[in-house]
Amino acid sequence: MTVVRLESVCKSFGGIVVADDIDLELRAGEILGLIGPNGAGKTTLFNLICGIHRPDSGEIWLRDRRLSRLPVYRRARAGIARTWQHIRLFPTLSVLENLLIGPRDYPAEALLSRLLRPGQRRASAEAARARAEAILSRIGLSEARDKIPGALPFGQQKLVGLARTLMNDGDALLLDEPMAGVEGQVYETIKQVVRDEAAAGRAVCVVEHNVSFIRDLCTRAVFMFNGRIRQSGTVEQLLASEQLAELYFGGGGPGGS
Amino acid sequence: MEYIYTILILIGLYVIMASSFNLIIGFGGLISIAHPIFFALSAYVSALANMHFGAPIPLAIVLGTLFAVVMSVMLSLPSLRVSGDYLLIASIGFQLGFVEVIKNVDFAGGAGGLGNIESMYSGPHRSLAWIVTVFALAAVAVVLVHRVTSGEYGRAIRAMRDDEECFSSLGRNAMAIKITIFAIGSGLAGLAGALYAHYFQFLSPDQFGIIQSGLILTMVVVGGMGSTWGPVVGALLLTALPQAITFLNLPPSIMAPVQGMLYNGLVLLFLYVRPAGLVAKRARQ
Repeated sequence: MTVVRLESVCKSFGGIVVADDIDLELRAGEILGLIGPNGAGKTTLFNLICGIHRPDSGEIWLRDRRLSRLPVYRRARAGIARTWQHIRLFPTLSVLENLLIGPRDYPAEALLSRLLRPGQRRASAEAARARAEAILSRIGLSEARDKIPGALPFGQQKLVGLARTLMNDGDALLLDEPMAGVEGQVYETIKQVVRDEAAAGRAVCVVEHNVSFIRDLCTRAVFMFNGRIRQSGTVEQLLASEQLAELYFGGGGPGGS
Repeated sequence: MEYIYTILILIGLYVIMASSFNLIIGFGGLISIAHPIFFALSAYVSALANMHFGAPIPLAIVLGTLFAVVMSVMLSLPSLRVSGDYLLIASIGFQLGFVEVIKNVDFAGGAGGLGNIESMYSGPHRSLAWIVTVFALAAVAVVLVHRVTSGEYGRAIRAMRDDEECFSSLGRNAMAIKITIFAIGSGLAGLAGALYAHYFQFLSPDQFGIIQSGLILTMVVVGGMGSTWGPVVGALLLTALPQAITFLNLPPSIMAPVQGMLYNGLVLLFLYVRPAGLVAKRARQ
């Protein structure tokens, strides 16, 4: 079932086309790999879906809801969660507090309702806290709950960034290079979380340069270059494609990784 | 004795001003210089509501405060839609513009000022009643700012200031938070202004100039930006200090520049030596 649908989405900055007539579907329970060299427009595509950029033309749908004109926060509340390539944890908040910013209905977002309905606020605050604790224990970071992000190793920060988006509990999960700079136990944990989230019925889209990660997790992948989707299909088809090798690695055939 | 009472009242009013400005600039990270004009607008509305429309003084003070809240939304709603920096530019226009408006409205006394404002209290214990009122409301203001900036709402404010784009992408409405804290801060400035009007019983538009922004900012910076008690200490110190140097008996032509240099010097000194202010925020791990 299609969760997120992009229809002929175009976007350019000045004269530079960063999204050129993009049609894309993210399906429930599926992990879609988004690959392509740096500057291909992968992160821009995430920015278009989550609302940081508005498309020049085309539409973006979440199920039957049109997202294209909604501001960023309304799209997140509709169920679009994303991570960032550079993690972007809130540096002055503890790990647990970072997660607590993430639920779709934040306890007492409206100050007035906080004052008028304290009981409801307390209930939703407690529910959010319980969820955050559960997520931290699932990724093995319960011990770090009261630390500030800067005190954690890079890989664990990456995990916290992923955990924060899980608080959204929405339909779509956009992961921007979740594996960059990550290895060992954290690598395995992230892989497991991504798998579990898809199994829970979420539509997951992963931007990743790590080919083995894509091969292990994704059933389908699209290849982007210069703001266009050049090819899509199974991961095997894409990796075997000569066109991809040429554009990705500059002609010499697949190199490393 | 009356002189000491007046200084105490001023300290109380500046505690409200500095705490509320700290909410806006220190906690919210919103750069505005229009704080004195909300003080002034509320002072005038409260005085005029009482003088011309017979509103009882407590009601007039509430009306003035609400007027400041409404005006703050009129400033913040359009300017925050674009980007944070526009608030500063718009606030300069707002501040300078409304001082001129007040000067040119005869109804409000014009450039000569508005006199004969009724005091809330009379009789022999008038000053004491005022001190109790102002200190109680100053305490309420400090507690309110503390409540807003702690708990879930405070956490959201901190996250917003850390990284607004990321904050929005998690489903949080940064705009609503900014407008809310700007309105609360400006409303408190309005409360201080209305109290001022009915205590001093005279308002002159020149009192509410851009210089006042500098003074309040100095209180916040010296006291400690983003801490609850910092502005209280800053207000106390910077209200008492200029009074202290009046005992030097300098001629007025030297006095004013000396005070100005004092404020500027203090800001520079603190930014270099102790940027966190006298009351530094509690550090985390």
